[in-house]
Amino acid sequence: MNKSSPGYILAFIIALSVVFGFGISFVNYATVDLLKKNEALHRNRVISSAFMLSVSGNNAADYEGAVKKEIRPFSLTARGKTIQGYRHTATGNLGFVFSGTGFWDKITGIIVLSPDLSTVKNIHFLDQKETPGLGARIEEPQFTAQFRGIQPAWDRPETERIIIGASPDPGAKNRVDAITGATQTSIALMQALNRELAAFKKAYSQRESNTP
Amino acid sequence: MSDSAGTILLRDVWNDNPVFRQVLGICSALAVTNLLANTLFMCAGVTIVTAMSNLTISLLRNYIPKRIRMIVQVLIIASFVMMVDIVIRAVAPDIHRFIGPYVGLIITNCIIMGRAEGFASQNRPLPSFVDGLASGIGYSMILIAIALVREPMGFGTVLGVVLPAREIWWHQWTIMVMPPGAFFMLGVITWFARNRLEKSTATEAK
Repeated sequence: MNKSSPGYILAFIIALSVVFGFGISFVNYATVDLLKKNEALHRNRVISSAFMLSVSGNNAADYEGAVKKEIRPFSLTARGKTIQGYRHTATGNLGFVFSGTGFWDKITGIIVLSPDLSTVKNIHFLDQKETPGLGARIEEPQFTAQFRGIQPAWDRPETERIIIGASPDPGAKNRVDAITGATQTSIALMQALNRELAAFKKAYSQRESNTP
Repeated sequence: MSDSAGTILLRDVWNDNPVFRQVLGICSALAVTNLLANTLFMCAGVTIVTAMSNLTISLLRNYIPKRIRMIVQVLIIASFVMMVDIVIRAVAPDIHRFIGPYVGLIITNCIIMGRAEGFASQNRPLPSFVDGLASGIGYSMILIAIALVREPMGFGTVLGVVLPAREIWWHQWTIMVMPPGAFFMLGVITWFARNRLEKSTATEAK
C-alpha cells in the first residue's frame, strides 16, 4: 500500500477523525447528566451567594431548596430582550442576570440591589472567560466586595452610573477600583453593567407602574 | 530505542525533566500553581494526555503517512485533551472554571508534541507509553513543588485545609498568589534542581 497516495491519506484522516469523533461523543454522552446537574448547582450557588442566603457546602439539594424557599424568580422584557430577575422574599432585594461582551467572551453574572434600586447589595459571576490571572480576577472576592454598598448614580448619564476605574471624584459612591492589568475587561464590565442596569430599571419601573 | 522502562522513567522525570531541563510547559506551570488542587488536576490531565497520545501515535506509527504526521499527532492530542476537558468539567466543575482555559491549552503544550514527534513516532508502544507517563510525572513533580510553596504562603492552606495555628504564625504573602510569585518559585526550583543534578553528574564522572 502506498502511504503517500492521496487516497490513502484521505482515507486515513477520515478514519482517524471518525474514531476520535466517536470517542469524544461517547465521553460527552456519558457525562451529559452530570454536566447538567453541575450547571444547576452552580447557578443555585451563585444565586445563593449573591443574595447571601444561609446555605453552604456542596449539596445540590440544599442550594436548590434555599433558592426555591427564599427567592422568587420573575422575568421582564426590555429592548426586545428577556431579563431574568429574582426577588428575595424576606428583604425585598432585587437581583437580575446581566450579560455583556468582555475582552474575550461573554460575561454573565447576577447583580443584587436594594428594593428601591438605590444601593448595590452584591455581585457574583455565573460565567466569564477573561484572561486567567488578569481579567478573570473579576470573580475574586477582593473585586466583588467593592460593589457592596455602592450607589448607582441614577441622575447621571447611562454610561456613568457605575464607574469601574478612575473618576474625577475618587470618593464617589458609585465607583469601584478597576483591576490592574485588565483595563479592557474592567471597561467592558462597566459598560455591560450600566447598560443592563438602565434596561432593568426601566422595565422594572414600567412593571411596577402597571401593577394595580 | 532499547532503553528499559526504568531508564526512560529516570531520564524523563529527572535527567531530562521537561520543566527545569527543557524549559517546556512553563505557561501552565506559572498559571495553575497557586492552589494545589488545581495543580493536581492539571498534572493528571497533562500526564494522561501525554501517555495516551504517545501510546496511540506509537501504535499507528507504521500507518501514519509521513507527510501528514504532524497534523495526525495534533488530531490525536486534541481529541484526548477534549476528553480530559469534558471529564474534569463533569467531575470537578469548580476546578474546571479556574483551570479550564489551560486544559484547552494542553493541546499546544510543547512537552506532548515533543514526545509524540521525538519518541512515540519512532518507538514501540510500551516504551512510548512509559515515556509519556514519565514526562507527565516529571512535569507534575515541578508543578506540585511550586504549588506546595505558593498555596501555604499565599492562602495559609494546603489542598484547602487550613494550616495548624495559622492565625498565630502565618502572614499572607500576596505575591505568591499572583503570577510574579510563580516566576519567583519556578526560578528557585529550577536553580535548586539543576544544581543538584549537576552535582550528582559531577560525582558520577569522578
